[in-house]
Formats: sequence, structure tokens, C-alpha cells
Amino acid sequence: MSDAKQSVTGDTTDRTGEQPLLEVDGLTKHFPNDEGFLSWLQFRPDDSDGPVEIGREWVRAVEDVSFKIYEGETLGLVGESGCGKSTLARTILRLVEPTDGSVYFKGNDLAAMDSGTLRQQRRDVQMIFQDPQSSLDPRMKVGKIVEEPMQAHGMYDEEGRAARTHELLEKVGLDPQHYNRYPHAFSGGQRQRINLARALSVNPDFIVCDEPVSALDVSIQAQVLNTMNELQDEFNLTYLFIAHDLSVIRHISDRVAVMYLGQLVELAEKAELFENPQHPYTRALLESIPVPDPRVEGTRGVLEGDVPSPIQPPSGCRFRTRCPELIAPEKYDLTDEEWANIRQFTRSVKRHRFEATGANVIRAEFFGSTLPGGDAGRTVSRAIDLLVEDEWDEATELLNESFTEPSICAREEPSYEVPTEHGGGRHFAACHLHREEEQTH
Amino acid sequence: MATIDEPDSPTTQDAIDEMGDGEPAIEARVGWRYTLAQIRKDPTAMTGLFVIAVVGVLAAFATIDSILFEYLAQYQVFAQFGVEKYWIAKTVWMSPVSEPVGTPRLLPPVGFENQFGAGTWAHPLGTDDRGRDILLRIIYGSRIAVTVGLSATVVGFVSGTVVGAVSGYYGDWVDDALMRAAETLFAIPFLVLVLAFIAVFGRSLTFIVFGVGIASIPTFARLIRSRVVSIREEDYIEAARAAGVTDRNIIFRHVIPNSFTPVLVQATLQVGTAILIVAGLSFLGFGVQPPTPSWGQMLAVSRNYMIPNPWFSIWPGMAILITVVGFNIFGDGLRDALDPRFNN
Amino acid sequence: MTDPLLSVENLQTYFFTEDGVVQAVDGISFDVMPGELVGLVGESGAGKSVASTSILRLVEDPGRIVGGRVEFKGETLFEIETDDEGTPVENEDATPVETDESLSQQEMRRRIRGREIAIIFQDPMESLNPVYTVGGQLREFIEINRDLGKSAAKTAAIDMLREVGIPEAPARYSDYPHQFSGGMRQRVLIAMALACEPSLIIADEPTTALDVTVEGQILDLVADLQEKYGTAFVWVTHDMGVVAEICDRVNVMYLGEMVEQADVDDLFYDTKHPYTEALLESIPRPDRTVEELNPIAGVMPEAIDPPRGCRFHTRCPDAREACTRIDPDCRVVEDGYSPHRAACIKYDAFGNVGYDASPPLDNETRSGVDVTLTGDGGHQGGDDDE
Repeated sequence: MSDAKQSVTGDTTDRTGEQPLLEVDGLTKHFPNDEGFLSWLQFRPDDSDGPVEIGREWVRAVEDVSFKIYEGETLGLVGESGCGKSTLARTILRLVEPTDGSVYFKGNDLAAMDSGTLRQQRRDVQMIFQDPQSSLDPRMKVGKIVEEPMQAHGMYDEEGRAARTHELLEKVGLDPQHYNRYPHAFSGGQRQRINLARALSVNPDFIVCDEPVSALDVSIQAQVLNTMNELQDEFNLTYLFIAHDLSVIRHISDRVAVMYLGQLVELAEKAELFENPQHPYTRALLESIPVPDPRVEGTRGVLEGDVPSPIQPPSGCRFRTRCPELIAPEKYDLTDEEWANIRQFTRSVKRHRFEATGANVIRAEFFGSTLPGGDAGRTVSRAIDLLVEDEWDEATELLNESFTEPSICAREEPSYEVPTEHGGGRHFAACHLHREEEQTH
Repeated sequence: MATIDEPDSPTTQDAIDEMGDGEPAIEARVGWRYTLAQIRKDPTAMTGLFVIAVVGVLAAFATIDSILFEYLAQYQVFAQFGVEKYWIAKTVWMSPVSEPVGTPRLLPPVGFENQFGAGTWAHPLGTDDRGRDILLRIIYGSRIAVTVGLSATVVGFVSGTVVGAVSGYYGDWVDDALMRAAETLFAIPFLVLVLAFIAVFGRSLTFIVFGVGIASIPTFARLIRSRVVSIREEDYIEAARAAGVTDRNIIFRHVIPNSFTPVLVQATLQVGTAILIVAGLSFLGFGVQPPTPSWGQMLAVSRNYMIPNPWFSIWPGMAILITVVGFNIFGDGLRDALDPRFNN
Repeated sequence: MTDPLLSVENLQTYFFTEDGVVQAVDGISFDVMPGELVGLVGESGAGKSVASTSILRLVEDPGRIVGGRVEFKGETLFEIETDDEGTPVENEDATPVETDESLSQQEMRRRIRGREIAIIFQDPMESLNPVYTVGGQLREFIEINRDLGKSAAKTAAIDMLREVGIPEAPARYSDYPHQFSGGMRQRVLIAMALACEPSLIIADEPTTALDVTVEGQILDLVADLQEKYGTAFVWVTHDMGVVAEICDRVNVMYLGEMVEQADVDDLFYDTKHPYTEALLESIPRPDRTVEELNPIAGVMPEAIDPPRGCRFHTRCPDAREACTRIDPDCRVVEDGYSPHRAACIKYDAFGNVGYDASPPLDNETRSGVDVTLTGDGGHQGGDDDE
């Protein structure tokens, strides 16, 4: 298992000889589920181990994430809400303390620094926030907002700071005359530009952008994205660009990492990831997104169910509970169709999606004329009997034990490198489907 | 038909927000000037402000009189002129402290009559059981009410703000420790707490001020903490941290200014409460000692003469009522002015 | 051709604020045919939400419908009386007068809202009461609107929950809204909207708050349900992807006015209005890599002080001097299977109004710095709390 523990490493370009600007290694963040005076004490009247339990429940927001970012590139990080991408950003910047792992910025571990050194280091690593409303102090004038980071790092004198602020406002496409306005006089797009100016004020090398355009209207979004691109070229900036919108990611990124439930599931160069996605979750995301073109064939909800709780994430591959391509346990000898039927049946039983009217009806509905042979078939018919007796929980348990748990997807955490079809970079996909084709490296 | 359109009206963001699908508004109605303008539009708040102003001026007058002239009286030169405490009052009228000679006791207010005679303009509100002018004693009594009310509130306000801001910003065990302490304080009834404080430290006015102030710390601390906890989550706090701004600067530059408004409102209301508490203490005999006038003590004395001389009780009671209501309605008006949700 | 199910004519909804009159919706017209899925598209501040709530007369103070007419199944929901020249008649309080055919608020409540026209809002959490169970709220709604008894309504409620794909419907019936995920809550609202089998559902950005995979599920569900029940939809959204995905016809709004109306394919492939064109140019694509985005210059002006003439002229790459003078209505510029309307005087349908002859306009498309502020810099309101 320890080899598989490598997880998806971000070393996917041919820039391997180069020193990465930022290297995230095994970064993990767990939050206590409840905060408060007595939160370590839990009452569970129904628990067999006794009604009182000592110890906290932990939300495993980010689990063992590793990747590298090279100078001048944009790494896009995409995932749905609650997948931990914002927590990851904040943990990288140590705005929240990491539970485990390291973040090497130019070779220095941010995660291990004392607070004084860290404060100094913040000059080189800046952040842009999602919400243009709440990211600017409503009681501060725009000029002062942009100057604050410079002031914190003792850069220039007062006049120098004001001069630089005027210059920066113009750089990000605002009127320097608005130096003395309060943030609320600006529109959302303009506020994001102020955010940009603030981040740039201390001349950083690396900017973490946490959904910087998702609160903006599309036409404004384009303006801000273009500005960010221009600034990147001009100041040789490196971006970690977080978004839930694949279109935006596709536009701005050089490489893309896909995150699901606290872990990276796939990482590759942009063209490779979009044209040759290798993880079922990435494929589902790409298929779900509505394309602004009525002639492109319909995108539909391809994933079922909801994201599981990060408090008790599924074992092995975290995506397996929703994965349309769950691998059959080796002990059964099933055809693809039989396995598909069993999966469909298991899922429907778990979600109580039908009424158990009779054994034959159920059999016909899910398996057509014949049940699969061997052990698998015997288990299925036992489950059907249980359903007829209205023992849904037992049936769910039985199916889970026999089909889900023995799958490699539930037993091992996946991490594989797969062959690249587009471009020269490396391609990582955390899916057991690729266990046989892994490249030796 | 193509038409020519001539709209001509001022621009603001409000309008867009009310359209529902504009950008959500932020709490951005900032600045003293704006707040004052809002208050000026609110007749109730203006009434409160007026009451506070009147009481404040009277109290200031009485305080200057009692402190300044007592100080001057120490010097020979001034002593020759007969300068002593309550000098103005004594020169113009009569002393609120000592028993005047020849003044009828329990004289009714102007326009009334009782067994001691009819009210005169010399004593518009009548005289007390020792023949002292009630109006004058109420004016001098405001001194205690206002100074103790204000300073006790300042004590509670400042300490509560710091405790709450630190507790809310750092969270975790700091929060636990401070808030549990505050809750312990909160669990003891206000009056009992103040009485215990006085019992331990003595009856001096200073200790009353600190007693009332400390007893109000939990109120302020909890209020500002709850604000800070939500402000802490705002992105601009995180932005400041990410930029490398020190915690101290974040607390004083961002956290406190943005959590301030509800506390300011609470402080205004708290002055009223403190005045009430101080009056209550005086009534019980724990406040300033006679003959120094205070409203609560006047009430206490007047109890024995209530029938058939009700005004003796009514005047100090009214003074307390009007002042406390004045602070309360001003506080309400201030809340409306500071909270954009109440604006239309 | 069949009669339209819903017909909106020259609808005007203004907001009367302290600072002036906001012309949130200023004279829009559109039709919805039975069983049709019509998109109402625009950016923030375009007035699309106000337009959709105006149809049900749910506009809240200080907003007021000041002109126009809404007809549903041949019945007038409301109409503002006009004089011979088409100007709305006002009574002595300067309030527009409704004609006698208009339904009263009570009739709207009793007969129309929920039963004939249902509405789904963007935030499902705000539409569900957190202290009652989801099933209870659905049951009550069905009880009131379908005149069913308590137990019959409960059965119907569970059936509806199952219909919209809630797993373990009987068990989830007694759960509270916070126990549902965002997507599941939106399904509940769809169940509620469908409960009385209305002929029209107005969906106000129903998938905007959802993740793409969940959004996909909901779009799927809506497509299936629409096929099954034949319900017509007015789908309010800002997402051109969703529009392309599900809409039959599209109405594009800009700053309170209708700028283009067309079949979805025509809108994307035979775009007529410069705004729609610019909007489509500015979106990044998920299916191909776009190197350089082409944003629309500037920001949308405010509806309290809209630009004279064509409201888009300040940001329009095709704007000419004539555009500052003439406010075009949305008229047919190309006849086809269904007419394609656009509000732009560069088309012949507007006659010779001097577009060709007038010089190009020097507007925001030609200046580098974004100088437009949203307001006077003074203050801003927070009236969005309700």
C-alpha cells in the first residue's frame, strides 16, 4: 500500500530537471467536526461501545495531496463545491494550519516555518478571493486597501506607496483617480481588479486565485481573465487557479488538476486532460457541463447521487460510491453486462428506489431472464429474498459485503501514471482501471 | 415605432440592488456623516438625543460647579469671596446640600397647595422634607446619574470590546477560557454582583462605577465576540493575513471597526441601564451618601412622604424615567441608522 | 398556429426608490407556447428576475408594475389601462390603473399561483421553511391546491418525491430541509411546482447554485418531466450553456429591454443583435480551447439612469451616432420557421433611420481604462435581506 500512497504526483511536465516554484507534498488537513468547550465528548446512546465516547469527529477536507507548480505556469484546480479545493488553497498559504505534509516554496517549507518568517515570506505568495463583496474591507478606501500589504512589509515610504498604488490601479484597468473611493462604489468586476492590484502590490512570484471570476457575469469574467493573463506575462507570475467552471479552467490553465472529496484524482496538461480524460470522475465532469452550442449533443447528468461525507470517506478510491465503472471483484467470473446489472441492482437497493413486489418482478427488472451464475448469482437471489421479506437494510448490507467491499476500488487507494496522447507532459490518474497499463518510470 | 428616450435621474447602487438580480449589497453605508444624516431623519432618535443633551448639559453644569469651586475654595483669595462647593447654586438660589433656614418643608410645586402652603416660583417643583429645593437637587442629582452611568459603561465597553475581540479572533482555547469566565459572570444577577463588589471594596463611588462596569462586561464581550466571529470569516480578514499583516493590526484596523456598530448601540442602551442600577443602589442606601443629592436616594427618602405629597417622589422618578428612556430611544435610533437593513 | 399559453405585452416594472425610479423592466413582450421551454437570458441587472416575478404579480415594494398586459390561456391576468396614445393612465396618486379584466390578488392566489403557474427559485433553502419537514410542506401545498384530504395528499406527496428522483422517498418524507443536499432540495421544489400539474412553470435560475454534475441531473429531470407532463417552462438564466442545452426559444434581455428573440439554433448560429453576439464571444468554452476571450467592454449601466437611445450603445462595437437617438423596439428582422426578432437599427426592418449615414460612435469599446463606477460613491443599500 505504501507505494500506492504516492498518490497523484504533479510531476507531469518534461520540466523534471527544473526546480519547481512550489511543491506540495502529502498535504493533509482535517478539521474537527464540532468546535466548542466539550466537543471532544460525544453522546451516542445507541452505541454498543457505551453511550459516551471521547474523541473528536474529523472532517477530512484535504487528504494527502501532492503536486508541483513550475515558474510562470498556471495550474488549474477544478472540483465541485465541498471537494476541498478552497481548503487546499488556504492550507498551502497556511491561512489554516496543515494537519500533515509540506509546502515547499522555492525550497523552503512554508508548513514548518515559524510565524515571523512566514509573515516575511507572504510577500512572495499572494491570494485572490472569490467573493468581490467580502474581500475588500467596506470601511477602507481603495488606495489604503492596495497599500496595506506594502505597509505590512515596510515597502517604500508613504509617498512611494501612493505612487505605486496609482500605477497599479492603472495596470489592472482602473482609473487611478478612484484612489479615494470606498469599495462599494465599484462593480464586482472592478472589485476583483482591486483585489488583483492588492495582490500585485508586494511584487509576488506566486498568486493563489480562489475562484476569482465565479461571482462575475460572463462578459465581465472575460475582461478579468484577460487582465490576469496580461499581468501574468508582464510580471512573470505563477498562478494556482481554482475554479469549479471547466470552461474557465480550460481557458486559463497550462496544466489541470481535478479534485474529488479531498484528493486529486487526475492531473495532466490541459490538452491531454480535456481530450483524453482517464478518470471516470473527470469524464463525468466533462460530460455534465452544458456547452453553449445547441448543436453539440446533449450533456446530461451522468453521475448519480451526492458526494459522500468527508467525515467518513469511502475506503480505497473515494469516488467508487458514485463511479459508473466500479471494477468487479476478482473472485467472480462475470460478463460486463452481468456486472453492470449487479451494480445497477445494488445501487437501487441502497437508495430504496423501487417497491419490492415480488421476487420474479425484481429479477426480471434488473437481470432480465437469467441471473448471473456461480456465487454472484446465489448472493443476488438471497438479496432478492431479503427484499421480498422487506429486509432492505440486510439486503443492502449483503450486497455491499459481497460486491462492493471486495472490489479493488474499495481496498486500495489508486495512483497510476498513464500514457500521454497529447503534448509531452506526464499524465496521472487515480483510477484502478489503469492498474495494468501503468508506465514504468 | 422607434422612440427617443429621455431619462434623466440620479444614479445610485441602491436601485440596482432592489431589482433583485443586481449584485448583493454589502454593508457599506459608512461614516459618521452618513449616520448623523440618518439620525436627523428620525424624530424619535432626535427626541432621545435632545433628552440626552439636556441631561448632559445640566450634569456638566453641576459637575463643574461642585468640582471647580470646591477646588477654588481651597485658596484664601477665593475663600474670602465665600467660594465653596455648590457655589453657583448657592449664590443664585440655595444649596442643594445643606438645610436652608426658613424655607417651608414639603412645599408643593407651583399651582398646588397643601397644609404647608401654596407652591411658589421660588421653588417651582416644591421643596423636600428638609426644605431644600427639589429642582436644584434633581439637577445636581443628574451629576451622579450621568457620570456613574457613563463611566461604568465606558469601563464595561472598553474591557468587553477587548475581551470579545480577542476571544472571537483567536477562537479555540482562548475563546473557551474567556467566554466561560464571562458566562460565569453572567450567571450572577447584576445587582447581586454589584452589591458583592461594594461589600468587598467599600461604598466609594469609584467602586460602584467599577462594579457596574465589570458586571456589564459579559454583555459587551458576547456581543462583540459574535460579530467578530462572523467578521473573522470575511475574506478581507483572510486577505490581510495572506498579505502578512500582523494580528494586532488586523484586530485594530479591520476587526474592531467592522464589529463596532452593534456594540455602540448596546453602549447607549447600557448607559440607561447603568443609571437605573445606580439609582437602585442609592435607593437601597449603597450609593453616594447624603447630603450629596442623587435621584435614587431622593426616591428613597420620599417614600415616607408619598402620601399626601406625591410630587416629592414623582420628580426624581420622572428624572430617572426620562433619562433612561432618552438613552434607550436614542440607542434604537442609532441602531436603525447604523444597520442598513432597517433603511428604506 | 396555436394560441400562446402566456403572452406578455409591453410589460413595465419600475422600482420607486429614494434615489429615483429604476426602470427594471421597461416594455418587454414575449410569448410562451403550450409545452414550450422558453429561455429568458441576461446578465445581472438585466431585469430578467423582475420580469418573471411580474408575471405572477409577486413584485415587492417599492417595485410596481406600471404598464403592460399579461394574458394567460386567453384570460387577462392583469392589464394597465392606457389612453388612446398608449400611455398608461394614472389615478390621482400617480398609481397606474388596472383594467377591470385584471384578476384580483386573491384570485391570483386562489386560481393561478401554484395551480396554473408555478415558480421555482434559485435558492431552494429560502423557499423551504427550515422548521417543517419537507414532506409536511409538500403535503400541505398539495392539500391546499388540489383539495385533497390529509392522507391522500401525503400519498401524493410521496409519489411526487419519488417522481423527482428522491431516493428512499417514504423515509425522506419526514426529513427536514437541512438534511437534504442542494440538488435534492431543488428536486423537492420541482416536486412542489409539479404537484398541481400546472401548465406553466417559471424557473428563476434554478440550477445556478448547483454543481455541474448535479445541474446535469436536474436538467435531465426537467427534460423527462416536461416530456411526461407537457408543462411549459420560462427558464430564467444567465448561463448560455444551459440555454443551448434545454431551451426551444430564447429571449435575451439587456438593461430592462428585450434585445433579441429567436429559436435557440438561430440565436447561436444566426445571431442578430450585437449584444447577443458579444455575449457569445465572451464565454470560454468547455469543449474547445479559446486562446483569447473577447469581453464586452465596460459594465452594464444602471437602470435608474439608462443610456438614451439604444441602451447598449455605450458598449456596442457597431454603435453609430444614430444609436444614441433612437431606442429600437424588438421587431422581426428575419422571417423563418419562427420569426427572429432583434432590437437593432442596423437592420432594414427599421427603415432608413440614418444608421448607415451616421458616423461610428466613440464609446467604451475604444477606451482602455474601465472608468465607470457603479454609483456616486456615496453609499449603497442593503435591501436584499428579505
